[in-house]
Amino acid sequence: MEINFSLFSIEIATALLAVIILIIGLMIPKQSRHILGYIIALGLVVIFGFSFRFYGLNTAVIDKMYLVDDFSVFFKQLFLVAAILVILASIRYVNKMNGNFEFYVITIVAALGMMVLVSAGDMLTLYVALETMAISFYILAGYKTDPKSAEAGMKYLILGALSSGILLYGLSLIYGMTGTVIITEIAAKIGLLSGYSPALVVGLVFVLAGLGFKISLIPFQMWTPDVYEGAPTPVTAFLATGSKAASFAVLARLLLIALPAYSRQWQLLVAVLAALTMIIGNLAAIPQTNMKRMLAYSSIGQAGYMITGILAMNQAGVSALSFYSVIYVLATVGAFTVVMTCSTQTDSDEITDYAGLAQRSPLMAAALTIFLLSMAGIPPLAGFTGKLYLFKSIVNQGYLWLVIVGLVMSMVSVYYYLKVAKVMYMNDPVDKTPITIPAEAKITLLLTMIATIFFGIYAQPLSVLAHIAGKALLTF
Amino acid sequence: MTAIMNIGLNHFLVLSGTLFFIGLFAVLSKKNVIAVLMGLEVMLSSVNINLIAFNRYTSPEILTGNVFAIFVIALAAAEVAVGLALIVAIYRQRKTAEVQDYDLLKW
Amino acid sequence: MFDIALYHAWVIPLLPAMAFVIITFFTKKMPKRSAGISITSILISFVLALSLGIGVIGQGERYLEHPLKVVVTWFSMNGLSIDVGTQIDTTSVMMLLVVTFITSLVEIYSLGYMHGDTGFARFFSYVSLFAASMLGLVLSPNLLQMFVFWELVGLCSYLLIGFWYHKKSAAEASKKAFITCRAGDFGLLLGIILLQLNFGTLDLQQLSKVIPHFTEYTGLTAAGLTGIAILLFLGPMAKSGQFPFHVWLPDAMEGPTPVSALIHAATMVVAGVYLVGRILILFVTLPSALAFVAFIGGFTALFSACIAITQTEMKKILAYSTVSQLGYMMLALGASSLSAGMFHLMTHAFFKALMFLGAGSVLHAMHDEANIWKYGGLKKYMPVTYWTFLIGCLAISGIFPFAGFFSKDLILEVTYAASSLSGQATGSFQGLYSLLFIMAALTAFMTAFYMFRMFFICFHGELRSHDAHPHEAPKVMTVPLIILGIFSFIGGWGGWPGLGEGQAFGYFVRVGNFHEIEANWFLIILSTGLALFGIGLAAIFYCKKTYSAEAVARKFPELYKISFHKFYIDEFYLWVIRHIVDKLGWLLWKFDYLFVDGIIVDGCGKAAQWSGSVMRRVQTGQLQHYAFVFFLAIVLIVLFLSLTDFNSIHVGLLLGGVK
Repeated sequence: MEINFSLFSIEIATALLAVIILIIGLMIPKQSRHILGYIIALGLVVIFGFSFRFYGLNTAVIDKMYLVDDFSVFFKQLFLVAAILVILASIRYVNKMNGNFEFYVITIVAALGMMVLVSAGDMLTLYVALETMAISFYILAGYKTDPKSAEAGMKYLILGALSSGILLYGLSLIYGMTGTVIITEIAAKIGLLSGYSPALVVGLVFVLAGLGFKISLIPFQMWTPDVYEGAPTPVTAFLATGSKAASFAVLARLLLIALPAYSRQWQLLVAVLAALTMIIGNLAAIPQTNMKRMLAYSSIGQAGYMITGILAMNQAGVSALSFYSVIYVLATVGAFTVVMTCSTQTDSDEITDYAGLAQRSPLMAAALTIFLLSMAGIPPLAGFTGKLYLFKSIVNQGYLWLVIVGLVMSMVSVYYYLKVAKVMYMNDPVDKTPITIPAEAKITLLLTMIATIFFGIYAQPLSVLAHIAGKALLTF
Repeated sequence: MTAIMNIGLNHFLVLSGTLFFIGLFAVLSKKNVIAVLMGLEVMLSSVNINLIAFNRYTSPEILTGNVFAIFVIALAAAEVAVGLALIVAIYRQRKTAEVQDYDLLKW
Repeated sequence: MFDIALYHAWVIPLLPAMAFVIITFFTKKMPKRSAGISITSILISFVLALSLGIGVIGQGERYLEHPLKVVVTWFSMNGLSIDVGTQIDTTSVMMLLVVTFITSLVEIYSLGYMHGDTGFARFFSYVSLFAASMLGLVLSPNLLQMFVFWELVGLCSYLLIGFWYHKKSAAEASKKAFITCRAGDFGLLLGIILLQLNFGTLDLQQLSKVIPHFTEYTGLTAAGLTGIAILLFLGPMAKSGQFPFHVWLPDAMEGPTPVSALIHAATMVVAGVYLVGRILILFVTLPSALAFVAFIGGFTALFSACIAITQTEMKKILAYSTVSQLGYMMLALGASSLSAGMFHLMTHAFFKALMFLGAGSVLHAMHDEANIWKYGGLKKYMPVTYWTFLIGCLAISGIFPFAGFFSKDLILEVTYAASSLSGQATGSFQGLYSLLFIMAALTAFMTAFYMFRMFFICFHGELRSHDAHPHEAPKVMTVPLIILGIFSFIGGWGGWPGLGEGQAFGYFVRVGNFHEIEANWFLIILSTGLALFGIGLAAIFYCKKTYSAEAVARKFPELYKISFHKFYIDEFYLWVIRHIVDKLGWLLWKFDYLFVDGIIVDGCGKAAQWSGSVMRRVQTGQLQHYAFVFFLAIVLIVLFLSLTDFNSIHVGLLLGGVK
């Protein structure tokens, strides 16, 4: 079998980068290891620039085990962007944590897992990639030497392993019923089966639960607030963005390409769970006092909006999901950047400690307000355009009630987002010393902020890409 | 010999299902975190039985299921390695391996 | 000049937007320069708007029938293509003029009012951002662009209400304003999405072509479209402070007074009226939606007029009066008259901005003492404020020939025409319109009464506060007052009966055919009579009282008896006022405060908060609990799916899988 390795060059380059950094890191003296962060960021930027050449290829490799389509390229770029932004933002944080450069290496490996995950054309690749990503995150979550971090890692590991065990059981059932692991062939094989297969429904539910865990779909979201709170903030940022977006992408592929025959079952299920996720995520965010926990619940709520893109079962929905993923990643990375920058100085993630942030660091206060308002869907910020796409795609399919739930809940979300804004702008700081933002974190902050405003005002470039991605998933 | 011949796919599936629930039960009820980890391993093994049985009874000529099972074993080992490392780390801090004690993060 | 302005109308909002950017990033530390940049930009916008206005009036017919649209594609995706650009027609130009004019004056006035405030530059940057968003809203050729700017003006209003963020009440008020408006906006956005889905366009012009024949273009029933119309109307209700969303507006007075004048009286709050006006064709097509608009408007007008009677703060009275006047505008639109609604919008902008700025000048003089019972006799200390305020009060009361007379009369006239009272109405819901007409007339009386109550208490009699040293405001504040005073006087003459095509306001701003206004003497006499009655009553209670009754009694013992008897009547009136009118007002205020505000607004917040804190308790921190929930959910889902027969009962369809 002839394998065109150039099709894997993004992944190979990323893996090489990780290995090279690991080697360099061991060779250079400890005090100069902090430059590794910059090297990695630079390397990823180069890979990102290079990755644009992969649009339009739309080919399958090794008996359809690996798909290089526009949808996967779109998401790979998203993970690269997320990784670059997170690494830039976290350089100081990592230096302070204990300066272990392995942190960056594992982060890249996690990103590699995500990239393979979105390209996975069969369930075996899917599982391996998912575990690569997940195991990296188990390590990262417990990376810090404080009890909360270790506990977060422990919890994430056990619950994560449980969920992937269940996912795997589901995959094995699907394999058993259809006799194939190739995602694009499953639908055809299901068509050959006579009638309705209970085992497939169980498999479907298990798969949905396993991936629902990763995207924090209610009722599989219980780990989210705990792990988000306990994990080191850069990890939380990457977990909340990359891992979630990757799982959304693969869930979309599985549900829309492999299991459309059971769409009646899963559409109902996903619709109800989406509504629950929006409601519970947003309501439970209200009483939170810890910023990271609040953002965790808000990200649960966001998952509820995002999954509606899959529910639509059409190209508009997938495009909307892709579009919103980018918007969500930008706003979330930005928000967590503010959190980690603040916490390096204040050693606290409590919302009350954000009092008077507007005086201590006007840029961060403004940026955080913009990110939160974007998540709430206030025009002209990007979150509004994203929500508009999402809701429009399902209203078409008759899910008006879900749109109403979504709109009401995004209104509720304004309430707790504004609470944070109020603390930052209206309360007086206990400690008046200005917070200095490290130059690298400032880059992340400015980039995400500008992008959040820009894509709100002029969404065309991103919507064209999202459109291509959506088209690729469904036609390929 | 005949008894063995009578064993079919369903027997394997029942075995795997039983193992799955035994593992799950351990995860849900064991106090010691290492036992919980063992429960997880049992669950993964049940999947392996499933995969191999399906392979054998549906498409014995292509070894997809077997290959899948090997990958699962490898990944499970990685998972356990990380799990044990975390247990050591957390045990050093708290001097406890009881799952119930890990509740700093809540609400 | 005209052509340039016509094709480059986008410059008008862009200038203040640039001022905002420049102030925020460069001149924040330089208050004088920031104010200069802001005022220059808005003045240039005003000149551009003026040249547009002159040009458009010159060729009225052309722009009335064929609005000039200059658009570029904003984004397009999967059949959803949205333009962004400008639409020039008579209505938008009128609104442009009003906004740029009032903003210019308010900014000049603020030079004096905000003098020495630590947030001077910040104030001008916010006001510039507001002006940019408001102008963008006015020029929007489609509903989505309008919505975006709609939210932006809401954001500016939030920023400006909470401008003095050290005041806790200001912070609370700003949050309340934002959230209340969001509640309405969710309806608006839903309505917009539904319109896009059903008609495939959000373009105002295309919508106005297809909506009257909606049955040909869509599968909608009249009831369905009415639902959409009412959803859409929720947004304007919240923004324009219609019952029960009006709760935020009086609180919004926590912001600096020029902001109250600009945003919460003259421009932003009328955005709701403007939006309804822009899609009036939708409501006109649906009589029941139209009646709903009219009813909400009429009810709000009367309801808040009742509350205004008992308020003791100048800005609160003005705020309730604004709500009431906004109700009037909605009523006019609900009587399917764009002319009347927009006309009142314009005259109201003049006289309400005038009164707010006057109130600001009084507050300035009285060192932010808010209680009007502490004022009194301000006439002799601040003559310019006194006379301009008098013009404002006469205008809002609807006294000939002040601006308010013409617009209010027009509203009464269109409501009357739609009611069964006129005997000529052809539409539906005539009985409702009769009731609304009576309510509107009653409101006219009450408006005159409470306005002059405030006027007499503040400006006549003796100064009640002893530690105040009132003084006239500086020139930079009085000149805008005088200019607004002039406009409050002449601003309504475009509605002079007998003005024909090419002259009357109603010719330029209208939906449907132009009807020359004929003087309806019954209505003119009725409305003037009611207003005069209100003023007289206020004079008896709050002005005459100030002539010392005892001094008169000692001088003329005979007269004293008569006076005593008169006084007795006065006492009776007073008793009525105190025990019935005031109580009713108080009761309504309490209802408003406790029920609408307390239970509905706060209650929703509390309920959300409570349910949130219950939900967080599920999170025990025990990972085995999490694992249990995780698996239990799976078991329940599997059970549910296996017990549901998807082929026979179509649960999927029930839950919305309708294709």
